[in-house]
Amino acid sequence: MTTEHNTHFGFKTVAENEKAKKVADVFHSVASKYDLMNDVMSAGMHRGWKRFAVSVSGVDKGDRVLDIAGGSGDLSKLFAQKVGPEGQVILTDINASMLGVGRDRMLDAGLNVPALQCDAEKLPFPDNYFDCVIVAFGLRNMTHKDRALAEMQRVLKTGGRLLVLEFSKVWQPLSKAYDAYSFKLLPLMGKLLAKDAESYQYLAESIRMHPDQETLKQMMVDAGLSKVDYYNLSAGVVALHKGYKT
Amino acid sequence: MFKGLTTHLLQHLLAQNAWAAPLLQPFAGKSVQIMIPPIKASLVILENGSLAIAGETNIPDARITIPPSLLLRLLAKDEAAKLQVKVDGDTHLATALAKVFAHMRWDYEDDLSRVIGDVPADKIGSLSRHAAATVKETATNLADMLSEYWQEEKPMLAKKRHVEQFNTEVDTLRADAERLEKRISKLIRSKAAKPDSTNSI
Repeated sequence: MTTEHNTHFGFKTVAENEKAKKVADVFHSVASKYDLMNDVMSAGMHRGWKRFAVSVSGVDKGDRVLDIAGGSGDLSKLFAQKVGPEGQVILTDINASMLGVGRDRMLDAGLNVPALQCDAEKLPFPDNYFDCVIVAFGLRNMTHKDRALAEMQRVLKTGGRLLVLEFSKVWQPLSKAYDAYSFKLLPLMGKLLAKDAESYQYLAESIRMHPDQETLKQMMVDAGLSKVDYYNLSAGVVALHKGYKT
Repeated sequence: MFKGLTTHLLQHLLAQNAWAAPLLQPFAGKSVQIMIPPIKASLVILENGSLAIAGETNIPDARITIPPSLLLRLLAKDEAAKLQVKVDGDTHLATALAKVFAHMRWDYEDDLSRVIGDVPADKIGSLSRHAAATVKETATNLADMLSEYWQEEKPMLAKKRHVEQFNTEVDTLRADAERLEKRISKLIRSKAAKPDSTNSI
């Protein structure tokens, strides 16, 4: 059980003020091999999940998009193509190492996407500014998910959309196989490919501690979003939640 | 996988039919469930006027039910069949979506040209159109020939003018019967009004 001042860090319970630092250590450690590991771990499916998120975002030319915990910039790149030169995409991450990878990638692709290091629980943007806010595989690492969701809702314009792409609760018949994969194979792959089994053990544990589809839907409603709906992708391994600010 | 592929196909078709987005955009955020029993699928209209498959917990704003028996007639653009499609909920939304689907065209030549180049794609497109026109013409000729045979040589089908003549005769008969009924009732009423006239003879 977590108390008011404690929170989860994978299966461990840590003080709230320690979680951000521990998460930062994990991502500093995996940043350079993050993309390779994502491809190996998801058999390339993470690219399809991200493309699907962009396709249901309803983002059009000239829109403003905020990519939270955007890390290596996969989504920012896709959104930048969607909004065109008259639109605006801002890539943010709390972790400097991950953000550095994303910023370099945007520059290499010739895309004008500002990269900004910031905490999703205290977004440095005005109210009612963005048409779409997306957080992909980042919410589960946040200490106060409710505060972060409320901040995302705050910076959205009326009619704007919040998209949350995150690991979720897998379809029950597959849960045993998925557990075996997460807790046996995933740390082994982390050890072999990124020389960091511990960080990948945390990734597997943090996925299990993350709220399931219905709980996250309710959290988004509590944060002030309406018409919240979700898509189960790959049998619920990942869920994409979408809610509107009204 | 299915959701991603279907959404991609829908959005690709809508991108080829740019006139559809302004028609759908006023309904952004709304969803429609299309039922062709036993299959049903919900589509949601996006803010950019595009379409996507709806999520797991979506509550549709409109429902379009198409009995499977109507499908072929709808594909053949039978106007009478359209009247039998059942629409519940937001009818404006359902009508807009039905209009988009009715007029949407797949520009397969454009897609093909990206794979095999413009000239071969144009050739294949011309050949396909020619083949389709030939098939359509042959089918029409065959249908005309069979209908003539069953009407003239071995009458199994009624000719249009015979059906119309029959209908007119039925109408005339119905009108005559009604007039006769009225006259009979009038006679009965007048007879009832003078009950002693026969007894007194």
